[in-house]
Amino acid sequence: MIKINHVSKSYDGGATLAVRDLTLEIASGEIFGLLGPNGAGKSTLLNMLAGVLSPTSGTIELDGVNVAEDPLAAKRNLCYVGDSPDHLLRLKGHEFLRFIADVYEVPNDVRSARIAELAREYGMEGELDNQIQSYSHGMRQKMMIMGALLPDPPVWILDEPMTGLDPKASWLLKQSMRRHADAGKTVLFSTHVLDVAEKVVDRVGVIAHGELLFVGTVDEMREHFKSNGSLEEMFLELTSENSPFADAAEGQRPAEGDGAAAARPAGAPEPPEVR
Amino acid sequence: MARAAQAFSWHQFRVMLRVIVRGEKTVDNTGMGLGDDGAPKRRGLAGKIGSGARKVAMALLFLLLVVMFFMLGVGLHLVGVSPYAAFSLAVVALVTMTVLTGLYQAVNVLYFVRDLSYYLTLPISTTSVMWAKLAHFLAVSVAGDLIFAPVALGCLWAEGSGIAACAVALLAYVLCAVAVDLALVIVCVPLMRFSRLAHDKDRFSRLFGGLIIVLALCVGAGSQFALNGDGLASLAGGAEDLLGAGPAAVVLALLCPPTIVARQVISGAPLEVALGLFAMVVLVVLYAAVLSLIAGRWYFEGVQSVQDAGAKRGRVVKGSELVRATSSRGSFATNLARDWKMMVRVPVFFNQFVLSSLLMPLYFVVIMVVSGAMGVSSAEDAGVGASELLEMVRLLCGSLSFSEVPLVWVAVGVLGFSVLLGFSSYSYTMAVSRDGEDFFFLRALPMDWRGYLMAKLTSPYLLSNVPMLVLMAVALVVCGVPAAVGLYLVVLYLAATGALALLSLGMGGLFPRLDWDNEAQLVKGGGATLMVFAGVVVGVVVVLIPALALLGSAQWGVIEPAVSLALALVVLALECAGLTWWVLFPVARSLSRRER
Repeated sequence: MIKINHVSKSYDGGATLAVRDLTLEIASGEIFGLLGPNGAGKSTLLNMLAGVLSPTSGTIELDGVNVAEDPLAAKRNLCYVGDSPDHLLRLKGHEFLRFIADVYEVPNDVRSARIAELAREYGMEGELDNQIQSYSHGMRQKMMIMGALLPDPPVWILDEPMTGLDPKASWLLKQSMRRHADAGKTVLFSTHVLDVAEKVVDRVGVIAHGELLFVGTVDEMREHFKSNGSLEEMFLELTSENSPFADAAEGQRPAEGDGAAAARPAGAPEPPEVR
Repeated sequence: MARAAQAFSWHQFRVMLRVIVRGEKTVDNTGMGLGDDGAPKRRGLAGKIGSGARKVAMALLFLLLVVMFFMLGVGLHLVGVSPYAAFSLAVVALVTMTVLTGLYQAVNVLYFVRDLSYYLTLPISTTSVMWAKLAHFLAVSVAGDLIFAPVALGCLWAEGSGIAACAVALLAYVLCAVAVDLALVIVCVPLMRFSRLAHDKDRFSRLFGGLIIVLALCVGAGSQFALNGDGLASLAGGAEDLLGAGPAAVVLALLCPPTIVARQVISGAPLEVALGLFAMVVLVVLYAAVLSLIAGRWYFEGVQSVQDAGAKRGRVVKGSELVRATSSRGSFATNLARDWKMMVRVPVFFNQFVLSSLLMPLYFVVIMVVSGAMGVSSAEDAGVGASELLEMVRLLCGSLSFSEVPLVWVAVGVLGFSVLLGFSSYSYTMAVSRDGEDFFFLRALPMDWRGYLMAKLTSPYLLSNVPMLVLMAVALVVCGVPAAVGLYLVVLYLAATGALALLSLGMGGLFPRLDWDNEAQLVKGGGATLMVFAGVVVGVVVVLIPALALLGSAQWGVIEPAVSLALALVVLALECAGLTWWVLFPVARSLSRRER
């Protein structure tokens, strides 16, 4: 379970507000898709969840562990795939996976079998002995995902995980996410690919200007907009310049309430659920 | 690949030059850069202060070197060296350094730049892009080359020459610098077009980076000869001869054509000076024309060859091999293995932090051999044979004891040696910075930051100290130093270098530079040069109190030698303990919270 409680993140002494007073709860057994335009604050939020950035205010809990108070325990509960797969490029594939397994203390008796299985699934068997720098972008992304899935922690946080993946790998990852959630664990991922979100997520959150504008299922979103259109159309409406949410997000945060409900100006359609 | 019209466009040239100067993250190829190093600016007062302090420090360092070379020129005049010989020395130094280090830099700046492939997709004349790249490289290179000019100017000034003579010498030197940089690129362009080795950035960097390290050590060892007796005057005389006649003069004339008329310009009559300068300009223009021709033909073909260089496929790792290759390790071993692999597989890091550490003892061996040979020569002049001299040294060293002052002076020498090693302490200072963007990947993992820092300490400490310990052990045995005394000196050395390493590592951990785009940017920039000198300051800080304890006995006689020796070791041990705590707790905590 992920609990985000009134989290804000600002830079330059408050001059730049990347995430503002965001509150959200993602239950165990759920796949949550985070949607938002470029610069909306998705990566900042995910980086805070992964403990790479500290919130300026508010708290984050992963399976009951406060990320700020006990970052090590919190990180053992999560795996994180960032928005760039260009890491530890001079390590060979198997060296990278061994490093990850060591850091997460994956038991010795299961790690090689799990690595072999992941390598087979993602078509990387013939690449494990090569340095990651020799991989294509998609292969690097696969390696990052294999590294994230290897320790199999309860919470998966994935920032644009489908970027660069071939169709098979993309399908595999979606299957893995589903299995993980069905096993009572949590998946949070951001994406620009709305079709992916529509097919995979249990619930979706739309973020713009660092503020959560909507939280709910895709069906609730349709009902909410009285629209039979695609998720793409609703997303564009929600995050457009003319959106009442966007206007509110650009202004000052209301004094009371939280999340999207607080940001929603009078007369705007009411989101079905904001956690 | 889309190609636009190839004609040169002044407008496009200016646009590209501006983009390259401001936006491209390249190597600071002078190694003495005073300007922007490509790092993002921090906003606010702290950012302004940091940026200002950095620029002031850079300017001071540059000035320090200018003054040093100027005084060298003055010194040359005092030992009877003519201005032309001093000018020759400056030009030979310029050509030598450019040939041995410039090619590596030229290839990095002109070819191994990520943005080049993007430029090739733009509707911009490739000729304009090429000249913008070349102009940028030449401008920065010539600015760096100016560092040797004060040698000639100092000699002229000491001789009482006027401003006009100094200005002429400076102009002649600048023309020489431009010519040698043009020659360098003339060689570089076909090399990159046709050489397979040059297309492999790693192999190329390893080879030429290794050459640079060897050169640096040779220069250091060679200076031991040059700075003895009239070595300096001989060096200048030798440089003058090199420019004068013979095959070396031909090679120098090819690499730096203005040297053909340098004598007329520096020591000729006014008419000869004017004609000589004109000839220099003509020669530079001629080389520019040759470069234009060659680069127009092959520069972008070379760039495309580099872009096309592919990767090799490996073999399948499975079964028991995979089990062995992925077996579990502890936190320290995990971090050590990762750090070591990343260090030895990045050629720039390998050259700077592994190869130089391994070759360092060789440098001291050469110094010891040179000093020994000179000592033997002097002794033989005084009628003492080599074996007798060795026996005297062994007798002297064998008498060292904890209750005698000579051992205290030896201990002071060991501390001084540790300060000297501060020049290489940037291996520790850069240890965290070496991770660059990878650091933020590690931040998302449940990392043991203490294990991480200890691993960062271990590799360079072992690399620098194991060969040195072997050398020390040999020297102690050869000199017949008593075992207990030898052990004390070794422990003192290890404690001093340990404290230096811990302090450097901690400073590097508190203020890491993680935003580099190119490895060479981290270790060869002006900031890196500053770090090298800062290492010596750190060394002085570390040994200050122990040295005072030793001097309390050796110099001022206020405490017993044995007490001062013990006190020095205890202070160093306490420093090590305190610094270990500082690294393992505050510094590790700082890393665990570091954000972009």
